[in-house]
This record gives sequence, structure tokens and C-alpha cells, in this order.
Amino acid sequence: MALMEKFKKSEFYKSIFRHSYQDTQRNRALQIVDNVFLHLHPVRVPRHATNIGFTWGMGGITFLLFLVLTITGVILMFYYRPTAQFAYEDMKYLMNDVPFGPLMRNMHRWAAHAMVLTVMLHMFRVFLTGSYKPPRQFNWMVGVILLVLTLLLSFSGYLLPWDQLAIWAVTVGTNMARATPLLGHEGPFGPELGMRINNDVRFVLLGGTEVGPPTLLRFYVGHCIFLPLIAAIFMAVHFWRVRKDGGISGPESRKNF
Amino acid sequence: MADQAKNDTVSPAENRSTPILQKEVASQISPTPLPRKPKQDRPPDQDPGIWRMSRRSLLSVAGWMGFLGFIVVSTVGALRYMFPRVLFEPPTKFKAGFPQDFVIGEVSEKYKDEKRVWIVRQRDGFYALISICTHLGCTPRWLPGDDKFKCPCHGSGFYRSGVNFEGPAPRPLERASIALADDGQIEIDRSIKYLYEKNEWGRPGSFLPFIG
Amino acid sequence: MQQILQIITKPDNIPIVLLLVSVIFFSWFAWTKGRKNDAQEVPDEATMDDKVQVWPYLVRVEFLATIAVMAVLVLWSVFLDAPLEEPANRALTPNPSKAPWYFLGLQELLVYFDPWIAGVVLPTLIIVGLMAIPYIDINEKGNGYYTFRHRKFAILTFSFGFLILWVALIVLGTFMRGPGWNFFWPWEKWDPHYVAVLTNVDLSEMFGIPTRLPDNSINPASFMFGAVLVLGYYTIGPAYWIWKRNTDLMKKLGLVRYAIISFLLLSMGGVVIKIILRLVPTAFGINPVKYVWVTPWFNI
Repeated sequence: MALMEKFKKSEFYKSIFRHSYQDTQRNRALQIVDNVFLHLHPVRVPRHATNIGFTWGMGGITFLLFLVLTITGVILMFYYRPTAQFAYEDMKYLMNDVPFGPLMRNMHRWAAHAMVLTVMLHMFRVFLTGSYKPPRQFNWMVGVILLVLTLLLSFSGYLLPWDQLAIWAVTVGTNMARATPLLGHEGPFGPELGMRINNDVRFVLLGGTEVGPPTLLRFYVGHCIFLPLIAAIFMAVHFWRVRKDGGISGPESRKNF
Repeated sequence: MADQAKNDTVSPAENRSTPILQKEVASQISPTPLPRKPKQDRPPDQDPGIWRMSRRSLLSVAGWMGFLGFIVVSTVGALRYMFPRVLFEPPTKFKAGFPQDFVIGEVSEKYKDEKRVWIVRQRDGFYALISICTHLGCTPRWLPGDDKFKCPCHGSGFYRSGVNFEGPAPRPLERASIALADDGQIEIDRSIKYLYEKNEWGRPGSFLPFIG
Repeated sequence: MQQILQIITKPDNIPIVLLLVSVIFFSWFAWTKGRKNDAQEVPDEATMDDKVQVWPYLVRVEFLATIAVMAVLVLWSVFLDAPLEEPANRALTPNPSKAPWYFLGLQELLVYFDPWIAGVVLPTLIIVGLMAIPYIDINEKGNGYYTFRHRKFAILTFSFGFLILWVALIVLGTFMRGPGWNFFWPWEKWDPHYVAVLTNVDLSEMFGIPTRLPDNSINPASFMFGAVLVLGYYTIGPAYWIWKRNTDLMKKLGLVRYAIISFLLLSMGGVVIKIILRLVPTAFGINPVKYVWVTPWFNI
């Protein structure tokens, strides 16, 4: 113990932890302010904001799942090649011959499903407490964009195993783009505007006229790099605006009633 | 005098006949004529002349136009980048064997997996149906017992002719171009399509008359 | 019965079971909280407006939630393997072939609408409509606490859209759509050879106006019939405005907001009407409706 006390007085320890852990108001505040990760929070919040019955914790869980997905996703990338020739083989390899490979893939898959679920529930809660009302209108819009990005992330990941489930879900999903009004070659007024199977909006998604190897590559890049980056940017805005719009929502004060 | 001037200006119709009065009024609105200092780079403040905007705002507008132009061109370029000039996809034109290989009244699934067409032989000839559901691109199944094509995705059903009769499919199956090649084989080109709803099924390439 | 158990316990369908359970639970939970607040002068949240320190009172909640979520996730991943089916094969469509579960509501709508509506227009309207909510809901009450009394219309509309048109359709699409996208009750067995008679007619044909003339071109009478119905339906919005424009609510809303609200609401109602037109006639042994309005460029 004496050694520990001595260590705590060392320059090394103090360079990392800038304040003691003694339970004082000041230290509690510093714990938040001095920590790069925790300073996302304000120092103090209204009591109802800590009540899980009010927030359901769904926004936070969504963010946690995003972090889980980022980490497991990067781990999966070690064994996955996004080509029609190798993608399915790599999945088999990962599931059968890589230690903890199945666990990583399962966690990625189930966390993705769970994230879609928690995003929906988060939106439901925010609606039911009227938290989109002024001054939080803009942040609700950012939230809707994040909901769409979550769905797109999940959908683009669906193709990567390159199995029957993947290819047909994506075939059905992307075939709707054929029918986009104006921009799809089978949509209303699309042919009239010169849309053909090899120049419409569906082609941009697929990189070809049908779901094939170029599609796999496009979805891979979108899933692993493009969409997560965009989502991260919008998440930063979302969290920042939660703070700037006055923290977690609540009734202005009891005087209003 | 000021009141009078005001009254005059609101009824210009009367003024037209009295140009002298009008001149007076004009001088009353701006009593001191503007000192016209000669300036090299700028028209006088009150009189822009042919210049609708100052040099500074012209440059600002030009700058923003350039910036916008850059953004637009970059976007178009990025979009164009997504459309390669060459695609590595299987050829759409292929030979499907000799007409005698097919049985009258049968829907041949021989080329369904590889080329995604059904070849149907009737008493009087051939036609080729593209095996892509017109609803969302699933591959329908040929059910000989029910004498129809049935899509497993959303339940669309098509008669042997390709005409849709049940489920959500918005239009009949497409027919591919079919002809006899020089060597006597059937030649099918999937890239040439004939659509029923555009009355194209009667056209020469959509049906291969053959008796024998 | 075995069938439904099999579907429910399919690994990829676990999220839908979770969705169903959690949505029901949270709806009930929010409802009780709202009713409790409504019965009180001051909502519970307003009495909890004293400040507490984030460290430890919020951080500990987050920490415990993180542990709980990770524990559940790891257990879920240890005991259930993510599915990996046969290698991709373009020529062989599995039967039934379904989109990811969160898109099954939209896939269900594909039965009732052409792809350009169900796959493009409706999702766009959903996204735009959701984004518009804060700007068209001008009710100042009900900000930051559970309530029902203060915002009945908003909550009923949103709940209808979310619980019925989104969640219920997902559940229907997962559990009751079998081979050939045919409808099966939970106690029925999914029979891949089941053939449902799905002969559809256009609405004008129900009134004796053929959609197409003998030369296969579109019958102008049928075109006009559909145009009057569809466009007439959307004139309910302006008509209601003209009728009620002098009320306080409408003045407060303003024309732009009202136009957006009425368009979104009528579109939502239109979806329901089309679904009814497709489902109800079958119950009476009449052929269901395929299109209300057929034009050379698009069909509704």
C-alpha cells in the first residue's frame, strides 16, 4: 500500500491523472471535464436525465453498438476479400478455421440487427417525449439521417457474405431503384429521359447491369469506409447538438405547469 | 412646395403635358446637383452608368460562380466515374442449338441458369422469354403442372405466353430477340427485347416461325 | 404450429421477436407514464429537475448498461450462429425470398403497389415526413415529458405509422408470408405448392369500364376514371382548408404547413386504402383491385 501511495505521488502518475479520486464536488466535475471521452457529458444534468425510465437508454446503446460494430468489423476485414471468387470461401474459412472467427462474425451480425432495433426505439422514445420540439428540431433531422444511414449500413453489409440470402435480398432491394421516377430505366418518365439499363441510378449502385462482382466491391467500399465515415460525421453533429440545444430534453421547469 | 411636388408625382398622367413643371419637380427632389468627381476605376456613387455592380462585388460573384462551377463539375465527374466504359459481363447473344432439339409444347429450361431465358416451342414456332420477373427481378419458376411461371419473391404469375395474370407484376415477361443463324441454329440476343405492353410481340424478331 | 415455432426460432428472425416484444413493452410503458402525468398537475419529469452530478450518477448508469448489453450480445453470439446459406446463384431464387427484416414492411407494400411507389416514393415520403415533423407540429405542449392528453393527434398519427404501417407489416412479412409470398396463418403449414388465386382487376373494371381497348391501348374513360379518383382524393386537402381556413388552428398552422401535413396524411391514408382495396374484396369472393389509375407512364 505504501508503494501504491508513493506511486500516486510520482510525476508519472500525476501526469496521467490530473486530480485525486477523493469524493468531492470538484473532483466529480474534473472527472468529466478532464476526460476526453467523458467530456461529451455536461458536469451536471437534471435528475430525470439519469432515469432509465425516461430515456430508455436507447441512444447510448445505439452508439455502443456502433463502436462494437466498428471493432468487430475491422477484425473481420483481416480475413475477407470482396471478390465474387473469394468472398464466400472466406466466410466459410472464417466460420470454420479461424479461432473466435464465428464469435466475431456473430457479434457483428447480431449487433447490426440490434442497432437497427435500438435506433427505431430511440426515435420512438424521442417522439413520445416530444423531444424534437424547439430548440431541438434540427437535431431530430440529423437523427432521421442517422436512422437512414444505419439502415443503409446494415443493408450494404447484407451482401458481403455472397450467399443466396445476400444476393437475393440485394437483388430485390436494388431492383426497386430500376423503378425510380425520372432516374430509373423502368420508372415513370425514366425511359422518356433517356434512362437505359446501363446508365440509370441502379447502375451506380451495382456497377453493372445485374448484381455481380462489381456490386460486391461497391457495397464493400460503401459498407466499410464511405457510410461509416458519413455516419461518424453526423453522429458528431448529433451529440454536439444534444449539448448545444440544452442537454437532454425535459420540461422547462415546474413553473410552466 | 414639397407637398405640391408629391402630388404631382403621384399623378404622372397630368405631368406629361407639362414638361417644364416636371423639370422643376426633379430639381426639388435633389436640390443640389451631384458633384461629378472624375474617378478612374469607379462610376460615380449615384450613377452606376453601364455598371450594374461594383468591381468588388463583380469579383465576389465571379469567385462564387467559379467555386460553384468547381463543385458541380466535380460532382458530375465523380458520378461519371461510377460508369465504366467497359463491363465484364457475359455476352448477351448466344446460340441455343438446332430447332429440332426442342419438343413442341415444352418450355425449355436448358438456358435458364446460364443465360436466363426460357425457350418455348409451339406448333408454329419459337419464342424466348427472359426469366427475370418484371416485378423485382427474381427468377420465376416454370410449373408444368399449373402451366404457368410463378415468381417466388412476391407471387407474380405468368401464363406460358409470358402475360402476367396474378400477383404484383406490373407487366408481362419480356421476350428476347430470336432468329435462325446461318448454320441453322437458333440465335438469341437478350439485349434486344420485345415488350408486350408496347405491342412489340408481333414484330419479326420476337417470334421465330418454324414448322417441322 | 410447428411452422411458426420454426420461423420464430430462426436465428435471423430473433430481432423481429425482440422488436415485437420491445415495441409492445415500450408502448405500454410510455402509455402508463403518459397517463400518470396526465392525471397530475405537474409531470413527474418536472419534479425531477434538480441537478445531479454526471459522475457518478449518469456514468454509472451508462457503465451498467454497457456491461448488460455486452453480456447479452456475447451470449447471443456464442449460442446462435449467423446464417450462411448456399453460395450465391443467380439462376436459383429461394422461395420465399425476403429482404432484410427491417425492409419487410416495404416488401409487403410491394404486393400492393408498383415498385416505384413502394420502393422509392413511399420511403422518400417516410424520410421527408419524419424530418418535417418538428416543423409542422406547432403544438408547444408536451416538450420533454410523457403525455397523451396534450398531443393526442401527434401521438396517434405517429403510433399508427410506426406500430401498424412499419412494425406490424414487418411482423406480417416475416411470420405470415410463405412460399410464393402467399399469406399463411400461423397455424398453417407453409406449402410450397400452394396456389392462391390472385386474379386482380383494375378498379375501373369493377365498374364495368375496361382498362384497355381491344387494340391494347389505354381506354380514355378508364384513364379519366382513375385520374378523377386519385386527384379527387388529394383535393380533400384543399377542400378542408377552404372549409376550415378561418379557425384558430388553421391560422396558426398557415398554408404551407397545412399543405405539407395534409399531403403526408392523405398519402398515408392512401396506402391504407389501397391495402384495403386489395384485401377486403377477397373476403367477399370478389377479385381484388390491382390499379386505381392506369396511365401510359405509371400505374397507381
